Amino acid sequence: MKEIISLTKLFINESLGFSLFFYNQKFNKKEFYKQLFTLIIVPVALIPAFFMYVSLMSATYFGLTMINQTSVFLSIGYIMATVLIIVFGVMYILSEFYFSDNIEELIPLPINQRKLIVAKFLSILVFEYIFTAFIFLPILIIYGVGQGMGLLYVLLSFLVFLTIPVLPLSLITALIMLMMQSASLKGRKDMLQIVFVFIGIAIIFGVQIWFTSQLGSGDEADFQLLMNTMLTNNESFLNIIGYIIPTSFLMAWTLNKITLMSFAWVGALLGITLLSGALMVAIGERVYIKSIVSGQITKKSKKLSGAERSKALGKKSHGAMAVFTMDLRLLLRTPVYFFNNVSIVIIAPLCIWISFAFIEIPPEDLQGMQEFFRGMPILINFLLIAFFVFFGGTSATTATTFSREGKASWLTRMIPVTARDQIVGRTGVAMLIQSLGIFFTIIAIQFIFPLTLSTLLLTVVLGILGSLPILLFGLFMDMNRPLLNWDNPQKAIKNNMNVVITLFVGMAYTGLLIGFSGLLGYFVNSLLGYGVFLLISIGISVVFYRVISNRLETEFLNFE
Amino acid sequence: MLKLEHVSKTYGNKNEKAVDDISFDVYPGEIFGFVGPNGAGKTTTIKMIVSLLAPNSGKITINGIDNQHDILGAKKQFSYVPDNPELFEKIKGIEYLKFMADVYQVAATERQERIEQYLDIFEIKDAVNDPIGSFSHGMKQKLALVGALIHDPQVFILDEPMVGLDPKASFELKKIMRNHCDRGRSVFFSTHVLDVAEKICDRIAIIKKGRIIEVGTMAEIREKAGSQESLENIFLELTE
Repeated sequence: MKEIISLTKLFINESLGFSLFFYNQKFNKKEFYKQLFTLIIVPVALIPAFFMYVSLMSATYFGLTMINQTSVFLSIGYIMATVLIIVFGVMYILSEFYFSDNIEELIPLPINQRKLIVAKFLSILVFEYIFTAFIFLPILIIYGVGQGMGLLYVLLSFLVFLTIPVLPLSLITALIMLMMQSASLKGRKDMLQIVFVFIGIAIIFGVQIWFTSQLGSGDEADFQLLMNTMLTNNESFLNIIGYIIPTSFLMAWTLNKITLMSFAWVGALLGITLLSGALMVAIGERVYIKSIVSGQITKKSKKLSGAERSKALGKKSHGAMAVFTMDLRLLLRTPVYFFNNVSIVIIAPLCIWISFAFIEIPPEDLQGMQEFFRGMPILINFLLIAFFVFFGGTSATTATTFSREGKASWLTRMIPVTARDQIVGRTGVAMLIQSLGIFFTIIAIQFIFPLTLSTLLLTVVLGILGSLPILLFGLFMDMNRPLLNWDNPQKAIKNNMNVVITLFVGMAYTGLLIGFSGLLGYFVNSLLGYGVFLLISIGISVVFYRVISNRLETEFLNFE
Repeated sequence: MLKLEHVSKTYGNKNEKAVDDISFDVYPGEIFGFVGPNGAGKTTTIKMIVSLLAPNSGKITINGIDNQHDILGAKKQFSYVPDNPELFEKIKGIEYLKFMADVYQVAATERQERIEQYLDIFEIKDAVNDPIGSFSHGMKQKLALVGALIHDPQVFILDEPMVGLDPKASFELKKIMRNHCDRGRSVFFSTHVLDVAEKICDRIAIIKKGRIIEVGTMAEIREKAGSQESLENIFLELTE
C-alpha cells in the first residue's frame, strides 16, 4: 500500500509539476509568480461558469418539482457525470498509461506491475473526483436540501459519490488496454486516440439529437414537454441510458428515498465498483506491461528511394512557409492539439446543422425568419461575422504555438527565421483552420438559409480580418509566457493560461467590436459600421504585429 | 571567427555566477575544445553563443557579427547540435531536414547533395522517412547533425557531440569536424571525453566554476602546467 501511495504521489506530482513549482519558489521567482498567478486565476475564472451551472441545475430541479418528477433529477446528474467522465477520462487514461515517459523508467525497477497499474489509475482518479465534485455535488446538495433529507442521506451520498468515477474509468481503461494490445493498432496510437474522442463526441451528439427529436415541433418545444415526454415514454432517454449505465438505477434507488433497502443498494453499488476496478487491474496485469515492452509502438513508414528523398526535400521554400508547414504538421499529427485547436471547426458547424436538421421548423416560420433577416441584412451580417471571429478566437492556435513545441523549441529559437516569417507562418496556420470552420459553417447554413454572394464575401473577409487581432494577441501572449516544460503534450494546452486569457480577452473584444460597429451600422449607416469594424481590426493588428516583430528575437532569449 | 569578451551570466541567485567574465577567441580553421567538470558553465556558455540565452554582460561576436545586436545575422553564421537534441517527435526525419534546408535557404541541388552525403555517412538513410519519435537517442543525434550540416556553417557548435553516438559515427564526426576546419571554417565543441579533446582539438579552454582557468594549445597548456602529462591528468590537477 505504501508503495502504491508513493507511486500515486509521484504521478500526481509529475502531472502538476509541484517539484518544479517549489524549485522555482527558491531559485526562479519570476516563474514561480507566474505559476502562482495561474493557480489562483484558473479557479477564479471558473467561478462564474460554476455558478451558472448551479443555477441551471436549480432551475431544472424546480422545473421537475412543478411536474412532480424530482425522482429523475439525481439520475440526470449521474448520467451526465458518467458521460463527461468517459469523454474527458479517455484523454487522461491514454496520456497516463501510454503517452507518459515515466513507464519506461519504472518498468526496470522491482515494482509489482499491479501496484504500477493501480497507482496510475489512482492518479487519474484524483482529478476525476475533483471534476465529479463540481458536476455532481451541486446536484446532491440541491436534491438533499429540496427534499429536506437528513444525515443518512449525507452518508449515503458520500458513498455514492465515491463510486461515481471509478466504474466508467475502470471499464474504459480496461477497454483501452485491450485495444492497445491489439497488434494491428500498436502503430496507430494517435489514430486510436482520435477514434476514441470522436466516439465520445458522437455519444454527446447522439444524446443531443435524441433530445431535439423528442422536442417535436418548435411551438411546443418547452422544457416541461421535454420532461413529460422523457418520463411518460417507456423508451425514454433515462431508461435507455439507464440500461446502458445500470448503476444509475442503483444510485437512484439508494438516494431517492432513504429506507433500509438503501443500504443494500449502496452496498451493491460499492460491490460493482470494486469489481470493475478489479477487472481493470486483472486485464491490465495481463496486457498492459506486455504491450508496452513488446516493442515499438510508433508505426514505421516505407523506405524512400533516392528519387523519393529528392522529391521530399523539394526546392527552396520561403521561411514563413517552412514555419507554417511545420506548425501545421505538429497540429494535425498530435491528437491533443488536433482536438483542442482543430476539432472546433468541425464540431461547431455540425452543431448548427444538427440543431436545424432535427428540429422541425414549420415552413411558414422558416420563411418568416428568412424574411426578417432579409429585411435587416446588417443583423445577419454581424451575426455571421461574430461567428466567424469566434473560430479565430476560440481555437487557441496562436496562443499555444510556441508552447506546443515544448523542449524542442530550442530549434525555433536557434534558426535564422525573421520575426515576420514566424508571425506570418504561425498566424497563417490559425487562419487556415479558421477558414475551414467558416467554410463548414457556410455549408451548414446554406441548407437552411441561402446566403447571397455579396453577404458571403463581406462576412468572410470581415470575419477573418476581425479575428486577426485576437490571433496576434494569442501569439503575443505565448511569446511572453510560453509553457515549454512539459512531459506530455496535453499540458501544453490544458495547463496553459494563455489559452484562457486569449479566450476571455478575445470574447470581450469581439463583443465590444461587434456591438460598437453593429450599432453604428444599424443606427447611422451600414457602410460606416463595416468600415469602423475593418479599421479597428486592421489598426489593432498592425500594433500587435509591430510589437511582436520588434520583440520576438529578444523574447526567444528569455524562453528558459 | 568566434569571439567572447568578458561574458557573464547569473541565474536566480544573483551572487552566484554560472559564467563569470570569460573571454576567448576561436580562429578560422580551428577545432576548439571546451572542457570542464559538470556544472562548470559549459552549456550556459554555448547557449549564450547560439542565442538561446542572453548574457548579463559582455560581448559575443560570430564571424564578426555581434549576436546581441544582429541576432538573426549571427544565427546565419553557425549551426548547433545540443547534447540531448529534442526534436519534433511527430515529424518525419526527411521533413525535419527539409525544414532545416528551407530556414537556412539552401538551394535544391546543394541540399540534396549534402543530405545524401551525410545520411550515408551516419547510416540513417533507411530511417529518414520514419517519425522522429521512433528514433533512438543516437539516431536523433545523427539526424540533428545532418540538419546542422545542411547549410555548411561558418562555425559548427556542438555540446557533448560524442555522447550517444556509436563508435563509427563518432569517428566519422571527428573526420567531418576536421574537414570542416580544413576549409577555413571553425568547430567549437564541449566534451567530457578528454582523450578526444586532446587528439582532435587545435586549442582547448578549461572552465571551472564559471571561469576560464586555462586556454591554449595542448603544448601551451602543458608548458603552463609544467608537466608533460596527458590532458586528463592536467585537467584533474587544475580542477581539483
